[in-house]
Amino acid sequence: MRRYQGIAVALLAALAAAGCGETKQPAGAPPGSTGADGAAAATSAASASGEAAPSGNAPTDATFTYANGNNIVTDFDPATSYSNEVIALNNVYEQLTRYDAETKTVKPLLADSWTSTADGKSWTFRLHPGVTFHTGKPVTAAAAKAAIERTIKLKGGAAYIWDAVETIQAPDDATLTFKLKYAAPIDLISSSTYAAFIYDTTAAGDGDLKKWFGQAKDAGTGPYVVGAWKKGDQNELRLEQFPDYWRGWEGAHYKHVLFQYVPEETTRRQLLDSGQASMADRLSPQLFAEAKDQGRLATAERPSFQNLIAFLNTSHGPLKDVRVRQAVSKAIDYEGIVAVLKGSAVPASGLIPEGLLGYKEGLAQAKDLDAAKTLMGQAGYGEGKRAKLLLTISNGDADQRVVATLLKSNLAEIGIDVTVQPLEWQTQWDKAKSTDPTKRQDIFVMYWWPDYADPFSWFVNLFKSADPPFFNVSYLVDPAIDKQIDALPSLTATDREAAQASYEAIQTRLLEQAVAVPLYVVNYQRVLQKNVSGYVDNPAYANVAFVYDLTPTG
Amino acid sequence: MAAAVPAQTEQVPTAGRLRALTGDRLALLGAAIVLVVLVCALLAPVLAPSPEDAGGATDPVNALLAPSGDHLLGTDQVGRDILSRLLYGARTSLRIAVEVIGLAILIGLPLGMVAGYVGGLLDDVLMRVTDVFLAFPALLLALALAAVLTPSVGNAAIAIAVTWWPWYARLIRAQAATVASSGYVASARALGVSHARILLRHVLPNSAAPVIVQASVDFGGVILTAAALSYLGLGAQDPTPEWGLMVSQGQSLFTTQWWVVTFPGLAILLTALGFNLLGDGLRSILDPRQVTRDRHP
Repeated sequence: MRRYQGIAVALLAALAAAGCGETKQPAGAPPGSTGADGAAAATSAASASGEAAPSGNAPTDATFTYANGNNIVTDFDPATSYSNEVIALNNVYEQLTRYDAETKTVKPLLADSWTSTADGKSWTFRLHPGVTFHTGKPVTAAAAKAAIERTIKLKGGAAYIWDAVETIQAPDDATLTFKLKYAAPIDLISSSTYAAFIYDTTAAGDGDLKKWFGQAKDAGTGPYVVGAWKKGDQNELRLEQFPDYWRGWEGAHYKHVLFQYVPEETTRRQLLDSGQASMADRLSPQLFAEAKDQGRLATAERPSFQNLIAFLNTSHGPLKDVRVRQAVSKAIDYEGIVAVLKGSAVPASGLIPEGLLGYKEGLAQAKDLDAAKTLMGQAGYGEGKRAKLLLTISNGDADQRVVATLLKSNLAEIGIDVTVQPLEWQTQWDKAKSTDPTKRQDIFVMYWWPDYADPFSWFVNLFKSADPPFFNVSYLVDPAIDKQIDALPSLTATDREAAQASYEAIQTRLLEQAVAVPLYVVNYQRVLQKNVSGYVDNPAYANVAFVYDLTPTG
Repeated sequence: MAAAVPAQTEQVPTAGRLRALTGDRLALLGAAIVLVVLVCALLAPVLAPSPEDAGGATDPVNALLAPSGDHLLGTDQVGRDILSRLLYGARTSLRIAVEVIGLAILIGLPLGMVAGYVGGLLDDVLMRVTDVFLAFPALLLALALAAVLTPSVGNAAIAIAVTWWPWYARLIRAQAATVASSGYVASARALGVSHARILLRHVLPNSAAPVIVQASVDFGGVILTAAALSYLGLGAQDPTPEWGLMVSQGQSLFTTQWWVVTFPGLAILLTALGFNLLGDGLRSILDPRQVTRDRHP
């Protein structure tokens, strides 16, 4: 079915290109570029004219250039990769399944179909036939089993997602079965951005596979292979089309992908303007608005699965008193925060962003200054007695700085003096985990987003009691909530309605107790060239552009 | 007995100095700028249209408004009036400059004077210590120190002062050494005047002129350095109104909301320029050698 559609699309594209011919090119040429403006612009123009002559097809040599604000690659190993390189690796490797954020369902990828037993403890996947790794080896159930087992064994990155797995079996080439210790949604887990890639574990032969990956090599099944990698270079990573890709190359596709490391967002904006970049990751809301207004570039925006949360210290200091915590949550000007971030934030409703299981409308917090002042009075604060709180944010995050300024100003209104400490992430986190509770902060501001499209990670990491603390920087110890959290994976695997109800109940309780205050959900804003079509932001794969799905036009 | 030896200073008559200053147009310009900055700092509460914006207040609804009648220089990311913050920022900058130069003189002056007056081994030791401090690029050392201390205006001042005092120590040492070998100091010694008294009555007054010149030139440099530290997040912290911090908060908005970064940037530029021009003017007036050179090139 998928292949059939692909051919139809290819035919249409060919017809369209043939029909429009040369006239389409100037319109599709990057704005502001006269062809000599930049290398990428020049190549794309050249390729466009080159292909138009003989075949009448869409550009066959087009490069998709993604200007990113962070270093692209820190770890090439698909098992342990847990950083920005996933934006590239998700074009090189594939998972068994992929999460579709629009329909909120798990879609087939390397697995065509799957079933699970009623108790959610046994899952069987049917693999797509005829898929080969870039190494040439066929993708069999045994190979997939070996890949996941290696990922689990290395325990790096997001390997924890497989914690429920007891054994993996490969009874035949196309059947992969997971036997679990407890019920868990393996279909969802295997769609994870991290640690769920299927790769050829024999790629290095007798050699050390980790070292082999480290030489910028890959053993995936995806549409692109790793070409050149120049660490620290602006043109850091280049991917090339894998000719034997199992979904085929019918129709118009990008032949090359270039990941650029461009730390300055104004530079990223300029690269887009001059046509040297096809897409940029997050720009400031101001730059985004400007691009949108000018209309020469295409824009895409969508609320993400990433939210900013203020964690209140429930174990020590003034916030140990629930009334002070509630006062804090009622003193915050949520609308003001969203207003100041000018489009890069949308209001949060509860702790789970929209589009995920457990999201509930109507959980948004609202400012109520009178109620907050009353609560402070009840807690024994007032004229002459002000509370002092230490708030830590991540140094260098402009949005967090603005938020901290607003929080400080909001809380001053109810008699709380906030000291804001911008710290390097590691320092901020170490302080939060300090063995001496008096040295910990009162309010910890941090982003959270899931590794796979499921809200469980918010709860198991952030609110389940743990001693010593890890990510649970509210230091909550609530056995009832712990019990509810522990039951979530099974519920998700067996009874999604019950899981939804449980997530709602836990959130309501956490918000009532003001354990943490969700401040906003990050709105992902992308700027693209108008000649890139088919871009859909999938928040389950933060910042990933699935280049195979994109079509170069013009 | 000591009164028999009058304290000698090589002074140009005051009236002559003033005339020299008024004759130097650039120095006058510098003085005018400095005067404006001083007035801004002193009268900030009166001049600022919304003084609360220099403190903790925010106004999200009016964020990033362009300059207009309501907000002459526009508003910043959280809706604070930039003019008000700029005026109060003058206080922060001057406060840092006074603190740094005060501290630098407090440390450098006694060390330099003693080293120059006593000479010998003590001089060697003290000067090698100052050399160690001078060996590091000043901004780098200040950065390292500021990174270790918790970022605040006070700590930024300390970090900068640590890099600044060795210059004063050297300057005064050279002067003190000259004065110490002069005839009148020898006579005072012969008359049995105590070292402390000689240092205070003879060495100090006769070494002061270059220090004053240096301090006036340094004002601009310190303000620049402090702005740099705050710009890098190691100095003043929000909501303290500080020009460097304001520049850093506005830099990503430069192409879209130019006013957030431009006005504090101009304030830094003009203030540093003003102090430098004034300092240069003062140098040519107060430094007799410079005056001679100027007259007979």
